[in-house]
Amino acid sequence: MDSAAILYSSLQSERYSSTYRFSAQMTERVDPEALQRAIDLVMPRFPGFAMRIRRGFFWHYLEPNQAPGPFLREDVSDPCQPFRFQGDNHWLIRFYYFDRRISIELFHALSDGAGALVFFRALLAAYLRERGCDIPAGGDLPDLAAPPPPREREDAYSRYAGARTLHEPKKPRAFPNTGTPEPFYTFHVTMGFVPAGQLRTLARKNGASVTEYLAAVLIQVILERQERLHPARLRPVTLAVPVNLRAFFPTETLGNFITTVAPFVDPRLGDYDFAEILAQVRAYMKLHVNRQELRAAFTGNVRLTRNPILRVIPLAFKTPIMALSYRLRAVRPYSCTLTNPGVFTVPDEMRPHIARMEVVLGQATVPRCHCAAITYGDTTGITFAGALAETDTERAFFRYLVRQGLPVRIESNR
Amino acid sequence: MSYCVNCGVELNPGAARCPLCGTPAWKPKKDAAPYFPTRPAVIDPAPRRTAALILSSMLASVVVCCGLLNLVFIPDKPWSLYIIGAAVMLFIWFVLPLCLRLPLPLRLSLDVIAVGIYVWLISLSVGGGVWFRGLAMPILGLICVLVFLLSLLLRGGRHSRLTVLSLSIGAAGLLLLGVEYFVNRYAHGVWAPGWSLVTSAVCVALIIPLRVIRRVPALRAEVRRRFNF
Repeated sequence: MDSAAILYSSLQSERYSSTYRFSAQMTERVDPEALQRAIDLVMPRFPGFAMRIRRGFFWHYLEPNQAPGPFLREDVSDPCQPFRFQGDNHWLIRFYYFDRRISIELFHALSDGAGALVFFRALLAAYLRERGCDIPAGGDLPDLAAPPPPREREDAYSRYAGARTLHEPKKPRAFPNTGTPEPFYTFHVTMGFVPAGQLRTLARKNGASVTEYLAAVLIQVILERQERLHPARLRPVTLAVPVNLRAFFPTETLGNFITTVAPFVDPRLGDYDFAEILAQVRAYMKLHVNRQELRAAFTGNVRLTRNPILRVIPLAFKTPIMALSYRLRAVRPYSCTLTNPGVFTVPDEMRPHIARMEVVLGQATVPRCHCAAITYGDTTGITFAGALAETDTERAFFRYLVRQGLPVRIESNR
Repeated sequence: MSYCVNCGVELNPGAARCPLCGTPAWKPKKDAAPYFPTRPAVIDPAPRRTAALILSSMLASVVVCCGLLNLVFIPDKPWSLYIIGAAVMLFIWFVLPLCLRLPLPLRLSLDVIAVGIYVWLISLSVGGGVWFRGLAMPILGLICVLVFLLSLLLRGGRHSRLTVLSLSIGAAGLLLLGVEYFVNRYAHGVWAPGWSLVTSAVCVALIIPLRVIRRVPALRAEVRRRFNF
C-alpha cells in the first residue's frame, strides 16, 4: 500500500469510507449485459482495481481478490455508500447503471481520480466495443489483451520521495462549513452543468484557470455563509484542493499519487471582494504548487509510514492515532474540498456515444459538502455532495455563476 | 424547459421544486424521466451486533474463568468480584451502545450506574455495605441525576459556549454541595455546611457574570474583542 492508501484504510469505519464516483451519461440507454461483459474483460487488465483489503497485525494490506464479481447493479438514490472490507465479496469497486448512466465507485485506497479515469475510459471503450462500435486500442486506451505492466502499480510516492520534509506552520482551524446532518445513508447530490467554453472564458477574463476561478467562487460563498451565521469567532476559509502529481513527476502508476494544497482567505484580516479572493487564490497556487514543495509535502507522509516506531505499533493502536491525526491535520484546517480532474478526453470514435461526465466525492467525516468538477466536450459538471440538510453553499455558488452570465442546469437527488 | 424564478437556474422538467431553494417549479412534467434513481441503497445489516457478540463472549469468558479460579485460589476472599464488576462496567459502557441506540442522556446515566454496580461489588468483597449505602450510593445517585439533566439540557450541541460553561459550573457546584451533605450525614449524622458553601459561592460568582455576558449582546461583543475570543 502507498502512504495515501494506508491512511484511507485506517480511516475506514462502518459509517465512513473515502469513496468517489465517476459517471458517464451515454447517448443511449445502457445495455447491462454488454456492460457486465465489458467489466469482465477490463478487470483482469487492471489488477490494481481487483483487490481486497486485509487486516494485518501492524498494517492493512492489499491482496488480489479471487471472489466472483464484481457484478453490475442498478443504481441507487444515495451514491457513495461506505465500503465494508468484509461485505460485497470484499470488492472495493462498484459498478452501477441507470437509464443512460454508467457509474463506477471506488475506495480511495485503490486509486486516485486520474488513475480511476484511465480505468473508466478503458471500461467505456470495452462497453462500446461490446455494443458493436469499432474502437481501436492505443493512445489513452490500453490493449486489454496485453499483460498489465507492473509500472501501473508502482508506489510513486516512495519513488519520488525526497530527502527533506515540508515543515510548515500548523494550519489554523478553518470555518467548518457544517450543517444539520441527515440520517445515516442519506447522501445529497446536486449537480450543475455549465458550458465549459463559457466557464473557461470567464475564468480567463479574470486572469485565472478554471480551478482557481471555481476555488475563488467557493471561498467567497463560504465566507458569506460564515458572515451570515455570526459565529463566535471568525475563522479562515480554507479549501483542500488535491493536486495530481503526475504532472510534476512522470509515472504511469494508477495508484494514488496526489497531494493537497490549501488556498485560503482569512476574514479576520478584513473584508475581501471577489477580485481580491481570486488574487489570493492565484498567488497561493503560484507560490505553493511547484515540484519542490509538493515533493516535500508527500515526503513527510512517506517517512511516517517508514518510521520504525510507528511500524512496530499494532494496528489496533495505530488506527485511532491516525484517525485523530487525520481529524486534526486534514479535517479541522479545511472548510471544503474542491477537486477538478480536468478534461476527460476520449478517442474520436467514442465521442458520439458519451454525452457528459459526472464526478461525485463521497461523504466527509463531518456533515459538510464537497465540490468536484469534471469537463467533457463543452459541458462542465460541478457537483456538490454531502450528508447535510442545508443547501446554502451550492445555492450561493450556482447563483453566483448565473449572475456572471453562465447558464446553469441543475440536477439533484434531493 | 423549466427555470427557478429565484435562483435563475434551469431545472429538470420533472422537478416539482428547485433543489437549491425549494421554490415550486411552474407546471412540472409529471411523466418526465427522473435524472437520479429513486431506488434506495440496499443496506447490509451493520456488523455492530457481531462486534457486540465478540466483546460479550470475551467478557463472559473472563467472568467465568475468574469466578472458577476464585473457588480454587484464595477461596475465602471474593477477589473475583473486582474483575466481574469491571467486566459488567465495560459491558454497559461499550457493548450496550452497540446493541441499543440509546439517547445520550440515558447512556451517560447508565454509565454512571455501571460505576455504581462496580463500587457495589467492591463493597461486597470488602464487606463495606454500610459505606456503600450511606455514602457511595447517594453520591453516585446525585452524579447520575446531574449527568442526566446536564446532557438533556445541552442536547443537540446548539448552545453557546457561555451557556455550556455556566451550566457545567452550576452542576459542579451542586455536586460539591451534595458531596459535603452526604459526607456530613454519614460521618456526623447532621449537615454542617462548610467548604461546599465556599465552592458554591464561587460557582454562583462565576455563573452570574457569564449569564449577564450571554444576555447582553454589546457586552458579549466587547468581551470577544477584549479577549480575542
